Amino acid sequence: MPEFASAVFPGAAPPGADYFSVFNLPRKLALDTRALEQAFYRQSRAVHPDRFAQASAERQQWSLEQTSLLNDAYRTLRDPIARTEYLLRIEGVTAGGRGETPAQVPPELLAEVFELNMQLDELRAGDGDPQLRTDLEAARVEFEQRLALVDGELARAQDEWDQAVEAGTGAARGASAARMAALLDKRRYMRNLVREVREALGATLGEA
Amino acid sequence: MAYSDKVVDHYSNPRNVGTLDKSSSEVGTGLVGAPECGDVMRLQIKVNPQTQIIEEAKFKTFGCGSAIASSSLATEWVKGKTVAEAMAISNTDIVKELALPPVKIHCSVLAEDAIRAAIGDWKQKNGMAETEAAAQPVATTA
Ligand code: FES
Repeated sequence: MPEFASAVFPGAAPPGADYFSVFNLPRKLALDTRALEQAFYRQSRAVHPDRFAQASAERQQWSLEQTSLLNDAYRTLRDPIARTEYLLRIEGVTAGGRGETPAQVPPELLAEVFELNMQLDELRAGDGDPQLRTDLEAARVEFEQRLALVDGELARAQDEWDQAVEAGTGAARGASAARMAALLDKRRYMRNLVREVREALGATLGEA
Repeated sequence: MAYSDKVVDHYSNPRNVGTLDKSSSEVGTGLVGAPECGDVMRLQIKVNPQTQIIEEAKFKTFGCGSAIASSSLATEWVKGKTVAEAMAISNTDIVKELALPPVKIHCSVLAEDAIRAAIGDWKQKNGMAETEAAAQPVATTA
């Protein structure tokens, strides 16, 4: 049975394989998610624990590990943001989560984020000022637009990365990786804000 | 994740939440952010111009419990200290006091950065910008 498995599934990921190599993919960011899904199901079937019910304990363990690796890899790669964050991590470019040295955030962005959070706070305090609600609606639109803008820039940087990988140009890779890291940092602020604004607006609607 | 008692205490009963007059020359404002989570923290100090003692400190943090506790603790600690003494507060002191787990170290770094940024702002306002580079959050070494 084990020989059978390795014959059918010779591409079983070696220990410590990265998620791209699990699916035999190059470290590129443009990815056909339908093809990924199909590969995920195909490979999952090949290593599925049911097929190893009669096999040795070792083989069963292997089947479980492969299955969970496939799941982690699939879940990470199918989401473009998680995919990008993961890529930067395995490339050694830390986007956020860099431990003890916070990256620089543009001061204007901080000031803006802080201001909006203050406004949200006021709304949550529920003083019912209708103007505040209008302001928040405006803020929601604005921050959704800015999130979309960041996503647009991110898409461009991802393209550049893929081109650099194809061309094998290390410097261009480094530059686009750094840009993606900075954009992902910015995106976290925007995403938080959008979420908070929506929550604040949803809460007041609910009360009305 | 389980927060330590001290974190819970500061979180549920934060000290010195509020705002000081940003435009006063005695007030220094530090606004910092942690891009890994998208949290923001503002810490303000009011310094006695004669003694250089920090007489008041206020904070406002939009972030996780550890960030709120760290900044609450930071305001308690800087009060009554001279500016020079306050500069010596490091995030490891905060980590120890609050028993923060490794994943929450960046929250304490944020508080340290906020103190330095507030002092830097105050120094700049008062024409002491020569040491300002050392007070910039980006220049701190963790
Ligand atoms: S999780 Fe980011 S400041 Fe605590």
